[in-house]
Amino acid sequence: MMLGKHLASRVGAVVLGGLLLSFFPGCGGSPPATFRLNMEGRSPDQFSAEQKQLVVDILTAAFGTPDDPYIFPETGLDLEKLRIAAGPTYSEAEGVRHGLFRQHCAHCHGVTGDGAGPTAAFLNPYPRDFRKGVFKFTSTGPGAKPTTDDLKKTLRNGIQGTAMPSFVLLPEAEIEALVEYVKYLSIRGQVEASLFLYLENEEDLPESRDALLDEVLLVSNQWRDAESQIVVPDLKALPPRDSSEELAASIERGRALFRDAKTAQCIKCHGPTGLGDGNDEGDLFDDWNKEKDPAHPELWALPKQKLRPRNLRLGIYRGGRAPADIYRRIFAGIKGTPMPAAGKVLKPNQIWDLVNYVLQLPYEPSPNRPEETTKLTRARL
Amino acid sequence: MPVEFGPDEFKTNERRTIVTRFWIFLFLLVPILGVGVFLWAPYAGVYLPQDVSTHGHKIDHLFTFILLLTGAVFIATEVVLVVFMWRYDRERNQDPVKFTHGSHNLEMVWTIIPAATLLFIAIYQMNAWAEVKIDRPDIPPTLKVTARQFEWRLQYPGPDGVLDTRDDIHTVNDLHIPVNEQILIHLESDDVLHSFFLPNLRIKQDAVPGSTIPVWFRATEIGAFDLVCAELCGWGHYKMKGRLTIESREDFENWLEQKRQEQEAVQ
Ligand code: HEC
Ligand code: HEC
Ligand SMILES: [Cu+2]
Repeated sequence: MMLGKHLASRVGAVVLGGLLLSFFPGCGGSPPATFRLNMEGRSPDQFSAEQKQLVVDILTAAFGTPDDPYIFPETGLDLEKLRIAAGPTYSEAEGVRHGLFRQHCAHCHGVTGDGAGPTAAFLNPYPRDFRKGVFKFTSTGPGAKPTTDDLKKTLRNGIQGTAMPSFVLLPEAEIEALVEYVKYLSIRGQVEASLFLYLENEEDLPESRDALLDEVLLVSNQWRDAESQIVVPDLKALPPRDSSEELAASIERGRALFRDAKTAQCIKCHGPTGLGDGNDEGDLFDDWNKEKDPAHPELWALPKQKLRPRNLRLGIYRGGRAPADIYRRIFAGIKGTPMPAAGKVLKPNQIWDLVNYVLQLPYEPSPNRPEETTKLTRARL
Repeated sequence: MPVEFGPDEFKTNERRTIVTRFWIFLFLLVPILGVGVFLWAPYAGVYLPQDVSTHGHKIDHLFTFILLLTGAVFIATEVVLVVFMWRYDRERNQDPVKFTHGSHNLEMVWTIIPAATLLFIAIYQMNAWAEVKIDRPDIPPTLKVTARQFEWRLQYPGPDGVLDTRDDIHTVNDLHIPVNEQILIHLESDDVLHSFFLPNLRIKQDAVPGSTIPVWFRATEIGAFDLVCAELCGWGHYKMKGRLTIESREDFENWLEQKRQEQEAVQ
């Protein structure tokens, strides 16, 4: 039965593949995939062709190609995992699948990890451009990289409320390979940026192995350090939640803080009732869009996109809905976005009050827009 | 006025005759292959997926019944087609074609037989339909499923047993249900039409934005099965694949408790 099933699907695939190929003669052999040079925001003639070729050569020496990745072993990244995630999609006889990134991610995040794959233009927010080395939803402090577990969590849960899907059904080994590859693309992207910085400052590029290794380690060490930069929510300051009165009191304190325009300042962006309609700050952009110059749209792969402060009444939390997640979000902000890190301004007990308030928001009626919470649902029950 | 067909030169063209008649048998391949595929499919494992529901055998029975019925009509039509082509081949029929202006009796027959058949099917399937779509069990919902581009968001009532409260337990694409228990799902959509499809439970229900639609079933076997979207809902439709885990009440509760603790984590 098993064999029969296998044979049937094989035969089906071959027949179908043959049919498709005969329709699209161009599909037979595509050229090997290449990484796209990061010319975003730069006019094409800012650097000479030789300079660009040098950057490509150095990057290829340090990172290989999309089909044949390389990473200095000193970085601690696992080349075997990268090899599973990279390259074209195929399965080994033992069932090990290769080319995971291209199978699952590249159409959004791009082969280069530039967040500009073919579907990216249709999405809001855009898929993450890994090359900046900035990740929004991490358990780590301000400015820190995500931990391995953070990325695994992103892959498993997806990012609710965005196009980033959940890959919870992939086996653990494949998730790990993909996470390693995201790190690899991100490190590569940041090294590329620093190479261009050398060129801009008219300095020599690092060409020896040692100089190049130093350059790579500068970035990869930040990834290693992230594991020790996790924000630990202060449990001693956690307000008692044993009785509903205590929780209600904490929520009320949170409400007052949320609206306090001096210290917490949440109201400025999220509005007085958390609908995301406070626009004291004018139009907001994340770091990936901020730098885009509307006068020269041709210099960027994707047009500029606004960022809305979150409507906190929808009950959708992109970085996770556990109190610890929300605590970290408020403490460390959302990296690469205007959502500030309040950890320095607020005391832990205040952050907990805000957490309790934020988690309560979707379930209370909105005073200024009551219709927002009446459900527009016809129940056939 | 009868019209005459068939130029004389064909009558003497032997080769032409054989080729023409050979093509008639190619038409016979349609019913042979058509039936063959269905006979072969169960052995190749590409027929109906394993049924793990209490009502599924009724759906399968209806499927088989209608398949046999339409199959018989299909074979008969194809055979008549071939016989007519053979019998009325123009090389061997020099008689002029006769046109008729219809037969009242014949039309009555081919109207009444299909109408009666359809009526029969409509009545015959009523119990199955009622069981799956009308006789909603009078129990609180096991969970709420919200389809959105492009994922299944699942919401289980928390310890208070009521949906849409603060202690609800949220997961995505990972549907767990206890075995041998009546399950009631409230199905919603956040954006466009989706279709909630559990092939192994013979459950398929459109998710319609703006309405809450009840879906119920009882699973009979422990295991992991597919949950897919069966309505083309946008470019990422193919992504809407989830996993259905049917497990013992105990495992289900442990899983739910683990999810609850993950969600309530303060560390
Ligand atoms: C359908 C498009 C799509 C696909 C496919 C996709 N992503 Fe994403 N991804 C997104 C979007 C959109 C975001 C940005 C969400 C945001 O900014 O809130 C994102 C963000 C991310 C982030 C950043 C999270 C953070 O904290 O900043 C990572 C890492 C990521 N994706 C990895 C992957 C990997 C690995 C895959 C393949 C297994 C993948 N994505 C597949 C759309 C996609
Ligand atoms: C300068 C504007 C600004 C201020 C001030 C601000 N936020 Fe935000 N906040 C944002 C933006 C923008 C986002 C969405 C970021 C994104 O997803 O890219 C956001 C997102 C959030 C989220 C959603 C997190 C998630 O996982 O989806 C929460 C919760 C939140 N803010 C709470 C707060 C609280 C509490 C305060 C006050 C301490 C606050 N914000 C202050 C702009 C702001
Ligand atoms: Cu769908």
